[in-house]
Amino acid sequence: MSGERRIRILYALGAAAMAAFCLLPVAYMLLVAASSRPDVLSARVEVRLTAAHFLAVLETGSLHFPEYVVNSIAVSGLSAVLAVALAAPAAYALTRLELPGRMPILFLVLSVSMFPPVSLVSYLFRMMSALRWINTYAALVLPYTAWVLPLSLWILVGYFSRIPRDLDRAALLDGCGRFAALWKVMVPVAAPGIFSTAILAFIFAFNEFLFALLLTTNQNARTIPVGIALFEGLHGEIPWGMIMAAATLAVVPVVLLALAFQRRIVAGLTEGAVRE
Amino acid sequence: MMLEFRGIRKTFASRRGEVPAVCGVDLEVREGELFVLLGPSGCGKSTVLSLAAGLLKPSSGEILFDGGLVSAPGKKVFVSPRERNVAMVFQSYALYPHLDVFGNIAFPLRVAGMKEESIGTEVSRAAGMLGIGELLRARPGELSGGQRQRVAIARAIVRKPRLFLLDEPLSNLDAALRAATRAELKRLQRALGVTTLYVTHDQTEAMTLGDRVALMRDGRVLQTGLPRELYERPETPFAASFIGPVPMNLLDAAAFEEKGGLYLRIGEERFALPPGTAREVRRLGTGRILLGLRPERMRISGDPGPPAFRGIVATVENLGRERLVTVETGGGVLAVLTGEEAPKEGDVVGLALPLETASVFRPEDGG
Repeated sequence: MSGERRIRILYALGAAAMAAFCLLPVAYMLLVAASSRPDVLSARVEVRLTAAHFLAVLETGSLHFPEYVVNSIAVSGLSAVLAVALAAPAAYALTRLELPGRMPILFLVLSVSMFPPVSLVSYLFRMMSALRWINTYAALVLPYTAWVLPLSLWILVGYFSRIPRDLDRAALLDGCGRFAALWKVMVPVAAPGIFSTAILAFIFAFNEFLFALLLTTNQNARTIPVGIALFEGLHGEIPWGMIMAAATLAVVPVVLLALAFQRRIVAGLTEGAVRE
Repeated sequence: MMLEFRGIRKTFASRRGEVPAVCGVDLEVREGELFVLLGPSGCGKSTVLSLAAGLLKPSSGEILFDGGLVSAPGKKVFVSPRERNVAMVFQSYALYPHLDVFGNIAFPLRVAGMKEESIGTEVSRAAGMLGIGELLRARPGELSGGQRQRVAIARAIVRKPRLFLLDEPLSNLDAALRAATRAELKRLQRALGVTTLYVTHDQTEAMTLGDRVALMRDGRVLQTGLPRELYERPETPFAASFIGPVPMNLLDAAAFEEKGGLYLRIGEERFALPPGTAREVRRLGTGRILLGLRPERMRISGDPGPPAFRGIVATVENLGRERLVTVETGGGVLAVLTGEEAPKEGDVVGLALPLETASVFRPEDGG
């Protein structure tokens, strides 16, 4: 066996081990969700496949799972759009205008995201109660946006600073104001960056647990992670099958999102803009 | 349109403090003229262009379009780039990568809110003038450098700007394409009659394209005039060495008066000055001067009459049509550009000095 071939086999084995490590919990989740008796910790139970848990999750009105899905998508989507909409003009200003103290501003913004969420949540609860926003989308969307804004800003500053200055100069001379230059030139050219930023913000909000647990008390705004965690069986037992089925369904939007925009994220749109 | 710069200064703030980029520039670009700003990199010529475009605000001074102020920090006047109706071709082309060629050329028209039907006709007219009518559906990434350049020019001319700014538009093209595009730019500028400010570091471009040329160095304009004037009568040693196919020979010389005639001593030799050059030297005053001799006006021959040097050929470079010969003489190393059969390295030759077309400078003006 040649050395090159051996190396290739080692690469493949390494990749397989890594994939197995990452996917094992997912496989376990699928298995439990689809087996008739989710008591898989006991080795002697025979496994029969069934869709019963999936149907139960979707059809049992008292679980409110469809509402949680709608809430999750709405809250995450709004947070992502808001974060990008605020971060893009800020990133444009920081990379294009003659601002004193560019770096101090960026680090100050970053420091905001250094607070541990636990230290904020009790105050957030009091504030949202006083505003009577508990169980509304606003109670989740605003903290999520604030939380992902620093990261979004940093990513977009990185993307914008790689776009040649001549491009927005050209836009200014072609009759654009600053906002038109941002909207018609910078945003389309930085589209891969905009998309990846939005998706990161979306996934963060989609997975967030602590704020969602404390700022919602019913199905009006409660999101999937909290909803699943609070699933309860008829007699107080933990309904593992339904929990896993719900988790499987919850993964679907994120996977679809990643698949749909993968191309856009990877594609380098700036190719051909200027001569390097 | 007429463009004027009056006492324009621009300094940039940096960590090391204020860095001057343009130090008091006065310019006047006349209606329909192709005016070239020539200078080495870092001389401030691109800053001048950005100031004219309104991409930068001057620190002081005034910029006028047709006599109306567009930038005047002293009077708090600043007209934004989009209100100036100025078009620019960038060295990097700066095409919009997310739009196809049509979208790029149409961009300024769409921003101005023109109707789609008229945009179609205007874009095909501009594309037709530059011979890129076939490429309208291509993306900038699929085009060659020359094609991108044409798209950039089409985008600039499509909306009939008052002022046309070109920032080293040819420097990214290969030599053959550069010469062809140069001729085409000149033709296009004549046809459109748009007042044009053209920035380059290439003296050939300046000489061939410019109606008038301003030579810049260290943020200042050293000399403005017709290309021919800059070549024939450089006012500074820098102009002498920067303009011309090869830099001018500069010799240290001492001028002195004897029996009513004016003489030059260069090394061990002395030469009588012809009347024209003598007048120039008298204007500067006798004493130490720098004598400038164009390599293309020097002549190598076996035994020239005076004024001449004898010397040894140090190097011979073949430039194709011509040869660049350097000769070590008593007055220093002199370059000669000759179309005739060149001597070989090590030959002893005579070198006729074209004193009647020589330039003279004060030595303190630098080299």
